[in-house]
Amino acid sequence: MATAKDPNPRPVRTSSSFSRNPSSPSAAPASPPVPGVKPGPSGAAFVSSGIPDLDKILGGGFLLGSVVMVMEDADAPHHLLLLRNFMSQGIVHRQPLLFASPAEDPRAFLGTLPSPVSSSKEERQRAPGLDPDAKDKEKGLRIAWQYKKYFGERQVPELHNRGIEQDFSNDFDLRKPLERQMFRTQQIDCVSIQDTANLAVLHEHCSTFLSDLTRNEGCNVNAGRIAIQSLCAPQCGYSELDWDMVSFIRSLRAMIRCSNAVAVITFPTSVLSPSFSKRWQHLADTLLSVRAMPDEDKELAKLLTGYQDMVGLLHVHKVSQINTQVPVILEATTFSLKLQKRRSLILERLNQAPVDASSGTSYATSGSCSGSSKGSPLDF
Amino acid sequence: MAETICRSLRDGSLEGEQAPALTIKDSLQSPLGSHVFDHFLSTLVSHISAGRSQASGLVLVAFNRSPSFYLDLFKRKGLDASPVDKSFRILDCFSDPLGWKDRLVDSASAEKSILKDSATVFKNVRDVNKLSSSILDLGNGFIGEGKVRFAVAIDLVSNMLRHVSLPSVAGLLNNLRSNDRISCIFWLIHSDLHEPRASAALEYISTMVASLEPMMQSSDGQKTSGSLLWLEENSRKAKFHVRLKRRNGRVKLLYEELHMEQAEIRFEAASSVKTIVDQNLLPRVQFNLQLSDKERADRSNVVLPFEHQGNGEAIQIYDGRRSLSEGQKDPHLMQPSAFSHKMDAQSNNDKGEIHYIRDSDDERPDSDEDPDDDLDI
Repeated sequence: MATAKDPNPRPVRTSSSFSRNPSSPSAAPASPPVPGVKPGPSGAAFVSSGIPDLDKILGGGFLLGSVVMVMEDADAPHHLLLLRNFMSQGIVHRQPLLFASPAEDPRAFLGTLPSPVSSSKEERQRAPGLDPDAKDKEKGLRIAWQYKKYFGERQVPELHNRGIEQDFSNDFDLRKPLERQMFRTQQIDCVSIQDTANLAVLHEHCSTFLSDLTRNEGCNVNAGRIAIQSLCAPQCGYSELDWDMVSFIRSLRAMIRCSNAVAVITFPTSVLSPSFSKRWQHLADTLLSVRAMPDEDKELAKLLTGYQDMVGLLHVHKVSQINTQVPVILEATTFSLKLQKRRSLILERLNQAPVDASSGTSYATSGSCSGSSKGSPLDF
Repeated sequence: MAETICRSLRDGSLEGEQAPALTIKDSLQSPLGSHVFDHFLSTLVSHISAGRSQASGLVLVAFNRSPSFYLDLFKRKGLDASPVDKSFRILDCFSDPLGWKDRLVDSASAEKSILKDSATVFKNVRDVNKLSSSILDLGNGFIGEGKVRFAVAIDLVSNMLRHVSLPSVAGLLNNLRSNDRISCIFWLIHSDLHEPRASAALEYISTMVASLEPMMQSSDGQKTSGSLLWLEENSRKAKFHVRLKRRNGRVKLLYEELHMEQAEIRFEAASSVKTIVDQNLLPRVQFNLQLSDKERADRSNVVLPFEHQGNGEAIQIYDGRRSLSEGQKDPHLMQPSAFSHKMDAQSNNDKGEIHYIRDSDDERPDSDEDPDDDLDI
């Protein structure tokens, strides 16, 4: 088994998978690294989702050749945050982009794309253990067992990797829009799916987009991104043709599988019938869902730390597993969406606030109704 | 809570954002939706005629009730006629929605219209584009300074869904919302007249959802007297749930009770509020490691079963099967008075009891023997 040195050690995927050994003479000459694409084990390639936390959670990013579906919550527009970061990342890496939305003028949405955070000083402060102040404080803490010496070795390569990580994924400042000049040299195709009676137009756009991608043969085959917002929104003309929509997703998935692209599709599950909603979820390779949080809920504020900063919740249902038999096992599946300093999106595991035992109600006996009274079929 | 809705309808939309949209939802079991709609309509019209709202006028698309009903409604509520005329237009889809009267050969029998000019009869409900352009035309008729915005109220979207498909209705409402001349828009639906999918689609488009639920749920196998009481209750009162989608992405859930009194609606704060916690989200671990003061006091009061209490008394071997009693030479004899005394003392510390059973009588008191030393491995 030839295991090459993996330049970006990621603790999630094991190192016992096959990867190309560059020193062997039979290997093909290595293609120059494409910006924005990170190689992974088993010949997989990742593109960043635009949110570094999400890349870490999913074990590297969005897999090229997979379809990512995001289940929207009818009450909150958080899926737009995910879409914006995804599209901005593609533009920053100069990857061709296809965007479809049920608005009259999808180009207007491009004006809301965030621009990347320029300095990395704040990023280093967020990473644990790299801040020199924190290191001094920790010397004052005496721990019986000397585990720090094992950690020290891991931290040094992280500093080098910071530079590489910066190239792969960027933090985006949601308050600053992306500069106009970035758009000029870009291949961005926008489609409005509002008044179309069927999905043939969108299908056409997708297939030409994907065939254009592969047509640029040569050393650099760029990765493409497809972003479809609210595919089954009720104002789209085809939204009652359930089977047509399922066929469209299936054929899109087939086209993407054999191409170098990633598709992110968001859809509101409440608008679909439950059986079709399940079908859509099964068609996804990576399935995420965003959920709204109740506002000024005192119970929730007591139970969660950092409730005030939370914008919403993100739940990871499924992580793509193409070409590998090693699944990504997540430690936690529910994350809170927070806006750090009101500008960049971070995902955090939910932290439970210390509970007052004298209040008498243990967690198992507290009210068991779901957060929204509509009783969505996706009570996870 | 109804106040919150009235306020947001009055304030309208911000620049560059879509207009707020309200869905009022009721069902057969709590049929007070039309009254709630009338309440919001009249409040908004009074705001508009007093000039307090962002909208300069209101266009009402009347499917369910005739325009004269609405004019009478405003008279009943005490709104002045002339400002109302200036700022209120009705698109009458009630009298002749499908244009049948035009097709009658005997046109002399057609009723003379006794309506004022504020009502425009619309005859082609099936054409959604024409409907939307008529609404916009009527709205353009309002005059005011600066950018003129107007509000739209649709009497019964359920009636609209009878004639056209859901995507068309959803498209119309969405277009109205994104039109920058519209300040706010609200409509009423009867949720049991169409599939849940339609209600879900309309809720998806709107920013505020007000749903009416019956005060008393009907039980199966109801007796006649029970159902009459239930009918009477539900025709006068209802639970008013509001779900607001806020701009920061959070959802605000409000709850009120609604009482009908002589055709006037009164909103009251809820008598009991259910707390809702999403239990499935959070991990189950639950440990509170801090002690409160009371708990600390209790802890210090617990008598630990050391044979050496450290207060100079003689060492007592605690048998474990009898209670400890002082000055007792024969541990097998129990004296009821001492026993009860000890129990009283112990009952003062409610939670601090430790029961210690000695392993064997051979053990010397307070020995530090490690029981594992006996193991012969």
